[in-house]
Amino acid sequence: MMSKPVPLSKLDEKEFILPANSACQGCAGSIVARIVSKVIGKDMVRQEVACCGPAFGNITQPVFYGEVFEGAGAMMTGFARAFNKLGRDDIRVTGIIGDGGTIDIGFQGLSASAERNEDMLWVCYDNEAYMNTGGQRSSATTKYAETTTTPVGEFSRGKKERKKPLPILVGVHRVPYMATASVAYPEDFIGKLQYAKPVKGFRFIQVSAPCPTGWRFDPMYSVKVAKEMVLSGLWPLYEVVEGGLRITYKPKELKPVKDVLRSQGRFRHITDEEVDEIQAEVDGFWARLLEKDGGPLF
Amino acid sequence: MAKFEVMVGNKAVAYAAKLARVKFVSAFPITPQTTIVQYLAEMMANGELDADYVNMEGELSCQSSAMTAATTVRSFTATSGPGLLYMHHPMHMTTWARLPLVMAVVHRSTKGMQPDHMDTMSQRDTGWLMFECQNSQELLDTGIMSFKIAEDERVRLPTIFMGDGYILSYTSEPVEIPAQEEVDAFLPPYKRPYPMFPEEAEEAMKLMGQMWNPFVDPQNVWKQQQEAAMNAKTVIKEVSSEFEKWFGRSYGNGLVEEYKCENVDAAVVAMGTIASTAKTAIDQLQRDGKKVGLVAIKSFKPFPDDDFQRIGAEVKALGVIDRNVSTGTLGGITFTEIRHSLYDLDERPKTLNFHAGLRGKEVRVEDIKRMAEKTLKAARGENVTPLVEWA
Repeated sequence: MMSKPVPLSKLDEKEFILPANSACQGCAGSIVARIVSKVIGKDMVRQEVACCGPAFGNITQPVFYGEVFEGAGAMMTGFARAFNKLGRDDIRVTGIIGDGGTIDIGFQGLSASAERNEDMLWVCYDNEAYMNTGGQRSSATTKYAETTTTPVGEFSRGKKERKKPLPILVGVHRVPYMATASVAYPEDFIGKLQYAKPVKGFRFIQVSAPCPTGWRFDPMYSVKVAKEMVLSGLWPLYEVVEGGLRITYKPKELKPVKDVLRSQGRFRHITDEEVDEIQAEVDGFWARLLEKDGGPLF
Repeated sequence: MAKFEVMVGNKAVAYAAKLARVKFVSAFPITPQTTIVQYLAEMMANGELDADYVNMEGELSCQSSAMTAATTVRSFTATSGPGLLYMHHPMHMTTWARLPLVMAVVHRSTKGMQPDHMDTMSQRDTGWLMFECQNSQELLDTGIMSFKIAEDERVRLPTIFMGDGYILSYTSEPVEIPAQEEVDAFLPPYKRPYPMFPEEAEEAMKLMGQMWNPFVDPQNVWKQQQEAAMNAKTVIKEVSSEFEKWFGRSYGNGLVEEYKCENVDAAVVAMGTIASTAKTAIDQLQRDGKKVGLVAIKSFKPFPDDDFQRIGAEVKALGVIDRNVSTGTLGGITFTEIRHSLYDLDERPKTLNFHAGLRGKEVRVEDIKRMAEKTLKAARGENVTPLVEWA
């Protein structure tokens, strides 16, 4: 079993998101919210935690606002268990959660929900920093990126650490479904959502959602940046179904990461050596993915 | 038919949840609460209780999951001391969301293993109702009443019922277990507090709109919680007398329990197991002709200020025992609350305060007798310093 790409034209025309919102121009997170709400639609009860979601996520389905930033996993557990207890297993408990609420402060709840195989769909829109509070570093931030808490200066080269490999970490929990996706490949993303929707148990999709405000590029290029990230291997598209890995989009040859990095203000300062380091990292990871493609993740 | 069983306090708590037919239980171990969730797990394993039981990965998640589950089904969780501190963040959300979740707290110090009341006192302003218990029977009964009070439409606030760790949690005494049919008649089935199902989207969106409406006074969230907590005083009294009609037991008027307070010059005020020890002290003192009674605080939140105004007008001195401290303020927390209640009286009684039983320090009958004697001295107009002491 695996996901199959679904063209946008196959989606129901009905929108579950209101036409105006207070997100920044070019917000890829709002694309994620729109696609998720269209696919999950009238079956959705949504969990929200602190993130840009309250700005762009004006979805017309019941939502529980989460003042509890760290609580996405636990709060969705409560909903899923209670709904199922009343025989309402038709309800799809869905979280549209930022990278901080997933990978940093929400990580304990994420791992625990995955371990318990709770019946929830967790969609993480990854803009690689705490963008709602003004672009502070998260563990999802790429190495060398400049953020407001990893400024570049005489004694700093931006973020010091590598991006946390969350999709792999979730994959090794052996959950029913784990995938990466990108706003630049909506057919692939919709296919993955449609595959995940009826599955019982823990489902996780981490979606690349470039942030023009925080990454510092022209808002008209959000989808282009997302696409270049996939084409360069910075954001490989793959899925792990019950421990089995499959690359869902395989560029014939990866483009160099240099151009897509250089197109973002947050990487304006990086040297050729630093680009080479990221390139080596990306090449290594892609090679390992190709090796594992079609087989078990571990 | 009701039946008797010799059981520890934690089992009495588990019985309360079982008899309330909770449908969701989130569990995480912490001494001295742990055996509550163990008993509940056993009850489910034996088919005595039909609930969803989830072993969470920490108290914060216990609180968060029980909170969202309470949008849909009757939910329960339990904790102690540091575990309660870890729940603090979602506890504010539970009151904001006005979810009638019920939680048992087995008191454990926040600085050590032994009991004191600093765990719940640290949650004082989260907006939760808090009911204290003196013995295992009271734990069971208060647990059942807590659901009814919390779920009342005039209240709809999350509620803690609590008792001292070890002294109650791991000590056996005979407890009467009410018959399930009678509890069912007393406590109606859970009503979902607001729309959360997908087909209720339109209604749910309207509620969300109100929550975020910029034209609504932002203070309303707290104002409405305050009104609900104040309403709770009436509801608690009603539920308390209804409980007495059904089960033949009551704990004062549900807010305070006055023990041998007729024609006394002074009263000792205490909460929890210190109050139950104080009953023996009062018995002995009254046998010796000393005119001193006991007021046990049953409801800490809402605070029974009307009752203290009434009692304060009848006695010349109150000796308040606090199993807590609010550092930087003179006197303990219930002392401060009681003095606040008494302020508007034309003639105020003398008030003394004793910090006692913190970090599990034993409070014996003799200790309470000495405190009561000091309070009587104050009632006679004699000089009693210090006003606040560490017993």
